[in-house]
Amino acid sequence: MATICRAHANLNPRAQMGARTMSMDDYLASPWIADPFRVFDCCLMSDGACAVLVTDAERARDLRHRPVYLMAGGIGTGPANRGGMWGNFWHDHTECYARYMAERLYADAGVGPEDINLAQLYDCFTYSVIVQLEDFGFCAKGEGGPFCAEGRIAIGRELPVNTNGGLLSEAYIHGLNGVFELVEQLRGDAGARQVKNAEIGLATAGGASPNGSAVILRQ
Amino acid sequence: MTPLPDGLLPRPTPLTQPFWEGCLAGELRLQSCDSCGHYRFFPSEACPHCGTAEHTWRAVSPRGRIYSWIVIHRAPDPAWADEVPYTVVVVRLEVPGDPLLTGVLVDCPAEEIAADLPVRVEFERMNEAIALLRWRPDVG
Repeated sequence: MATICRAHANLNPRAQMGARTMSMDDYLASPWIADPFRVFDCCLMSDGACAVLVTDAERARDLRHRPVYLMAGGIGTGPANRGGMWGNFWHDHTECYARYMAERLYADAGVGPEDINLAQLYDCFTYSVIVQLEDFGFCAKGEGGPFCAEGRIAIGRELPVNTNGGLLSEAYIHGLNGVFELVEQLRGDAGARQVKNAEIGLATAGGASPNGSAVILRQ
Repeated sequence: MTPLPDGLLPRPTPLTQPFWEGCLAGELRLQSCDSCGHYRFFPSEACPHCGTAEHTWRAVSPRGRIYSWIVIHRAPDPAWADEVPYTVVVVRLEVPGDPLLTGVLVDCPAEEIAADLPVRVEFERMNEAIALLRWRPDVG
C-alpha cells in the first residue's frame, strides 16, 4: 500500500515525495511509530492548500474547464458513536464509517462498487485504505490487505487507488487533494498518472475514524 | 512507571469524578444505564446504546479480555522516554454493553500477547487525585 502510493507520487509533479522512491526494503527499514505502524504507514505533515469550485451544471457549461459531475455525496457514522470522532463506543474496530453510509451513497448515485474505476481513499494511515476497500465493497472483510499486497490498487490494475500518491506521499491536505486528483483524472488531465477509462470515481475522507464522508464523481 | 507530571495527567470533571474515585480505591466503576442496563466507557452523558441519560455508577469485575493492542515505540512526550517500547491494550469487559477500556499492559512477554487473553486491571497511583489503569495477564 505504502510503496504503491509512493510509486504513484513519483509520477506526480505536485507530490511532496515525488522525487523519492520507496522499495519494500525501504518500507521495512522505516522505524516503528506504534507497531504495527511504521513511519511509512503514517501520512505526511504538510503545509499546503487546494481548492475545488462547485457550481450547477448550467453555469459549468460556460466555464473554461471541462466540468466533472457529482453523482452523490454523504457523511456518516454509526448510531452508537453519537457524532464523536473517536470512541470506544464503536463496537467493532474492524469496521469503519463506510459500514453505515456506503450503501446509501451507492444507492443515491445509482452505481455499485463494480462501477467505480478509481478511488482516492483517505490514507491518513495505510490501515485506513485497507478498511475502506472492504467497507466500500471492493473486497470482502479481511481481504483488504491481500488486495493491496497483490498490487490490485496500482495504476493500470483493477482499482487504482490514490493515483496522486495520497496523503501518504502527495501531501496531507485532508483528503481534498484526493477530490482534486479525481477531478483531474476524470477530465483526462492526469498526465503520466492517467487511469484509462476513468469515468466514475470515489473520493473519501475518514477511514481510521468512526465517521467520514465520501463523494462519487463522474465525467 | 515514573509518576507523570501533573500537567500530563487526566483532570477529573463532575462527569468522570466517580470513575477516578474508584481508581483511587482500587475499584473499576462504570456507569450502568438505568434504562437498558448497558455499561459504558469512557464516561458519557448519554448511553451509546439507548441514549438515556440516567445512570448509576457501579463497581464491575476487574477482569476482561484483550481485544487489541499496539506497541508504542515513539514516546508521545519526553515523560515516556524511559518507558518505550510499551504496550497499550484495548480490553473488553464481559458485562452488559461489552465496554472497551484501554490501559498499559504490564508483566506480559511480547510473545504472549494475544487477542482474548484474560487480563486483570490494577491501578497505579500518580498523585492524590489520579490512579491510572494498568492491565496484567490474569492467571488465576
